[in-house]
Amino acid sequence: MSAFYEGLRNLFIGLAEAGTLPEAFQYAFVINSLLCALVIGPLLGCVGTMVVAKRMAFFSQAVGNAALTGVAIGVLIGESYTSPYISMFSFCIAFGILLNYTKGRTKMSSDTLIGVFLSISLALGASLILFVSARVNTHILESVLFGSILTVNDLDMNILLVVTVITLALGIPLYNRMMVSSLNQSLAHVRGIKVDALEYIFVILLTIITVACVKIIGAILVEALLLIPAAAARNISRNLKSFVWMTVLISTLSCIGGILIPMQWDLPLPSGGAIVLVAAIFFILTTSLKGILPVFREARM
Amino acid sequence: MQGPAIHVEQLSLTLGAVAILAPMSFTIESGNIHCLIGPNGGGKTSTLRCLLGQMPHQGRIRIDWYENRHCGYVPQLIEIEKTLPLTVRDFLTLLMQQKPAFLGTSNDTQQHIDVILEKTRFTDKQNLMLGSLSGGERQRLLFAQALYPDPALLILDEPMTSLDEAGMHNFEELILDFKAAGGTIIWVNHDLEQVSRLADQVTVIDRGLLAHGPTSSVIDEKMRQGIYRQAGAE
Repeated sequence: MSAFYEGLRNLFIGLAEAGTLPEAFQYAFVINSLLCALVIGPLLGCVGTMVVAKRMAFFSQAVGNAALTGVAIGVLIGESYTSPYISMFSFCIAFGILLNYTKGRTKMSSDTLIGVFLSISLALGASLILFVSARVNTHILESVLFGSILTVNDLDMNILLVVTVITLALGIPLYNRMMVSSLNQSLAHVRGIKVDALEYIFVILLTIITVACVKIIGAILVEALLLIPAAAARNISRNLKSFVWMTVLISTLSCIGGILIPMQWDLPLPSGGAIVLVAAIFFILTTSLKGILPVFREARM
Repeated sequence: MQGPAIHVEQLSLTLGAVAILAPMSFTIESGNIHCLIGPNGGGKTSTLRCLLGQMPHQGRIRIDWYENRHCGYVPQLIEIEKTLPLTVRDFLTLLMQQKPAFLGTSNDTQQHIDVILEKTRFTDKQNLMLGSLSGGERQRLLFAQALYPDPALLILDEPMTSLDEAGMHNFEELILDFKAAGGTIIWVNHDLEQVSRLADQVTVIDRGLLAHGPTSSVIDEKMRQGIYRQAGAE
């Protein structure tokens, strides 16, 4: 894959040098981050619609926080502090499965339970990462929390690509069944849908997506990019098809805008923060549109 | 079509240390409308969930299927997030096809949806969002989805809650048509007048079996008073 990325980078750099593309495209890291944005945008957009339907936004935040612990463990066991994927994936998947297992076996409300896990994962992750950052790099906490496009490399892009392929391979054939089980579990059971198995599959997908996006968007902002584009699209969608595609569009534009805008105007913003701020602008726009144009109001037809 | 006969043998249910249902045995005849009645909290919905295979239980449930093994289920009113942009047609597409609904509806699925919307007189509501449907309309939609794929057994969990008079009439018509075609219906119902009018057999459940048999022999004035008294006392 490295040769493929290199070819793409050379193509973009050539176009930038010829003046066809803006000057920023002369830098390999800009092209890397844009390639990631073009994958992350549609991926998070599509999954975000399911996250909204399943009301699992805080779940992905809890997993994002767990990634902090994953990074810290990775550094402690000797993984590279810029890409501690083995420990991040292992810890976050175990965390996600444990959270889902507990959710199915307690009478506590889902909100409360996720809140408890979220707080524990944040406290544990922040403590551990501050402890290890003294040993390696003091900026590690900031880059894990808010993303750092400068450090995206071929390995990160490969991981993102593999996660995307797994998500598409499982998510597309199971999309309808996942959506039905989130609407009514009894109905789903009767229709032969394995509700519990699907729940675990979705939790694992959401976890690996979150981990793969940590470097670009940041651990605490992945959840925002899963939620805000879907919430923005929901304001102006009249059916499922427009909801999903509008979410994908807003999510992709937010990723591209969040990467290009700070470069264009030399703004000292972390990539994750800028991406989420662009998404927030879309949310404000669609909310205003909904208020202004009667066609978007939820009146009965 | 011939609906299945169902034999419930020594069915009992315990959750933790709490006995939900004492052992009970009864038979649901093929092609019958069989109502489950009894006070709230008496275990009717738990019995249904055992029949649907959703609850671990003691005892045995034997279903004698004929050529068609499909079961349609109408749950109690579903609550969904009101702002989720999901139309009636989207909802049916999600249930009726494998291809993700956001990639479009296949021609085959479109035709099946048209038929069941027509049957349940819901065609004019097909583009409404689920969140904007009234309780009765949502109930009719839940009934509509149960008609695909063509079921031999219909399991209804208080489906008439929130229906207006026209909705109830349409509902009763559909149930009687289904029975006339040979289907079996299991129906949790609180309306004793309706049960007396439509059911062939009745099972009265209150943490176990209170009575079982043909409607006319089970539901008498004494039974009406008994059930209402118990329900009212809760």
